Amino acid sequence: MAKVRNWQLGRDMEYPFAAERPPKQFTMIMDTNKCIACQSCTIACKSTWTWGKGQEFMLWNNIETKPYGFYPTGWDVNILELLGEQSWEGGTYTGETVFEAAPPGERVLGWAPAEEDWSHPNIGEDEPTGNAEETTYVPDNPHSMMWMYYLQRICNHCTYPACVAACPRDAIYKRPEDGIVLVDQTRCRGYQECLTACPYKKTMFNLETRVSEKCIGCYPKLEQGLQTQCTTACIGRLRLTNYLSPPDEADPRKPADYLVHIRKLALPIYPQLGLEPNVYYIPPVHVPVKYLTQMFGPGVQRAIDIYRNAKDDPELLGLLMLFGSTERIMDTWDVRDGVARAYDEGGEEIVAVPLREPTFVRKFEFATEVEGQPVTGFRHNT
Amino acid sequence: MSDAKITRKDALVYGGAAAGGLVVGGAAVAGLAAGVEARKLPQPLEGVEISAPIVDGDLPVEDPSADAWRQAQRVRVPLVPQQLVPPYLEQGHVDELLVRALHDGSDLALLLEWDDRDVDDLDGIRRYHDAVAVQLAATAGATLPPLTMGGPGAPVHILQWRATWQRDIDSGGKTGVEQIYPEVVHDVMPDDVLPPETAQLYWVGREAGNPLSLQNRVTPVEEIVAEGFGTVTHLTEQTARGHGNHEDGGWSVVVSFPLARAGAGSRMEPGSRWPAAFAVWLGSEENRGGRKHISDWQTIALEAQ
Repeated sequence: MAKVRNWQLGRDMEYPFAAERPPKQFTMIMDTNKCIACQSCTIACKSTWTWGKGQEFMLWNNIETKPYGFYPTGWDVNILELLGEQSWEGGTYTGETVFEAAPPGERVLGWAPAEEDWSHPNIGEDEPTGNAEETTYVPDNPHSMMWMYYLQRICNHCTYPACVAACPRDAIYKRPEDGIVLVDQTRCRGYQECLTACPYKKTMFNLETRVSEKCIGCYPKLEQGLQTQCTTACIGRLRLTNYLSPPDEADPRKPADYLVHIRKLALPIYPQLGLEPNVYYIPPVHVPVKYLTQMFGPGVQRAIDIYRNAKDDPELLGLLMLFGSTERIMDTWDVRDGVARAYDEGGEEIVAVPLREPTFVRKFEFATEVEGQPVTGFRHNT
Repeated sequence: MSDAKITRKDALVYGGAAAGGLVVGGAAVAGLAAGVEARKLPQPLEGVEISAPIVDGDLPVEDPSADAWRQAQRVRVPLVPQQLVPPYLEQGHVDELLVRALHDGSDLALLLEWDDRDVDDLDGIRRYHDAVAVQLAATAGATLPPLTMGGPGAPVHILQWRATWQRDIDSGGKTGVEQIYPEVVHDVMPDDVLPPETAQLYWVGREAGNPLSLQNRVTPVEEIVAEGFGTVTHLTEQTARGHGNHEDGGWSVVVSFPLARAGAGSRMEPGSRWPAAFAVWLGSEENRGGRKHISDWQTIALEAQ
């Protein structure tokens, strides 16, 4: 075990390998408030990467209805229960990570989903499960509540991946060029240790090739300077594919650095597990903070306050409006004269978006005749 | 393993012969009993070398039930759960492997038998296969390689038989989704609509040449070299053969290979002694990789020619 710095925990922690932060780290920012669970991202991913035979159960990207939707079933509640109490003191995590809590003979504290756990994505949340009086929508049922939200999930391309830690063959690795976590398809021996270890359950087993596969961060697109399939297919424009610097090198001109490190609006998912996940979430503003703190750590209330104020925060508003405005990866951005602009690494403008779309008011007209025939009624925008 | 049990095969072979082809109740039962008695083997030896006599006749390189195996002594090899290198096998479910060995001057054949009620010969999600392996020192020397699949600079030569690969062969490669989930329904798959060379790209492991992902294989035994846990390297040239049968609540598996051991180690000369260790995996108990049952080093003594 090596001591590594996990900034999301505000402390050092144990990890089987020494820290090797890539100079550039793939990241994705998700604005949970904008998602309608249309699954366009899921289909974009599935139809690009995982529609082969043997990949039937694989959803490298999925959207689940929280708190009771899962893929695979129970993925987060199971590991939270195994880990026991997780406590924070200020910004420092004082509980154990999945590495520190590993039982004797194991490298990571984990659990293996059964095959049926993969077979029913979001079971019970997207379809009726019985008559109305038996469902979750009836008041007085403990399950019933006045909030839910959608959680967008891909591989977190963690700084300290549990799949990497658990693989007995070192068949999983982080690409040095962008920190994307990949399964070496020639080295994998199908032991499925990664499926047990990854607390986010984002490595999957191919039934035909008998080796593990996972989200590849659409690296062939990244290499061309393009955002991922799930990002560009998102009709809610809630995703941003970007690169994240370590906190001490944060650059406020870079979109992910600004949202994660400078404004601390986008938060890691289950940071207490200790993997330093690199997908960040703008928390849903209408969900109880207590629940959100369990999922996104201690910065939730602050993030919600910032987000609620975004309409009066032109810099932040501008950046949020650049989400989904271009297929290209933004290197930097700025907001001037009511227009948000994104630039590539050479400083060339990629896209410009006005903070406020111009409004046109059409004069009301009442038609008395159309093509010589008398009519009554309103003239619509035809 | 018990030799007193009557298998379906025993009944067919011995019962029928002893009864003179007559299907008469009493005679058939008497015949069965006589057949089993005649076939009964001496108790396995323990704590001795595994001697590999020169076979009289053909070496049964792919036949676990060949008569030739009666020429070899059975040696009981104790097994324990692997708890030397994480991930551990928490609990053992089989405590012995029965080993027999024969050679013919050019190949060595091992017959490996262990108890396992379940046949696990498909790889699925949290579904693992039965397997057995023998590891041999790659070169002769005074120092044994580490038991943990060798170590840096101390390679071992490993031969592993897998139930999945046996089924691959027995079924002509039909061991995928349709066998794991016989009721599976597919709408459009890449090979329905794409040219073969493009559709193939969706089986990345196969496309990358991973030996696990092969659809058509010629042997159920993989030949490997390793220098410690996690360093398994598939040999470019695979020369091992074998066959596994599941009968009477256990597996009987032949693993055979040329004594020359090209690319894997030095030649195993007749008359020489070689350190060998064994491992058994029970798929039903979620054994895989390092979660296995292992033996201590044993010795295989090849009879001189």
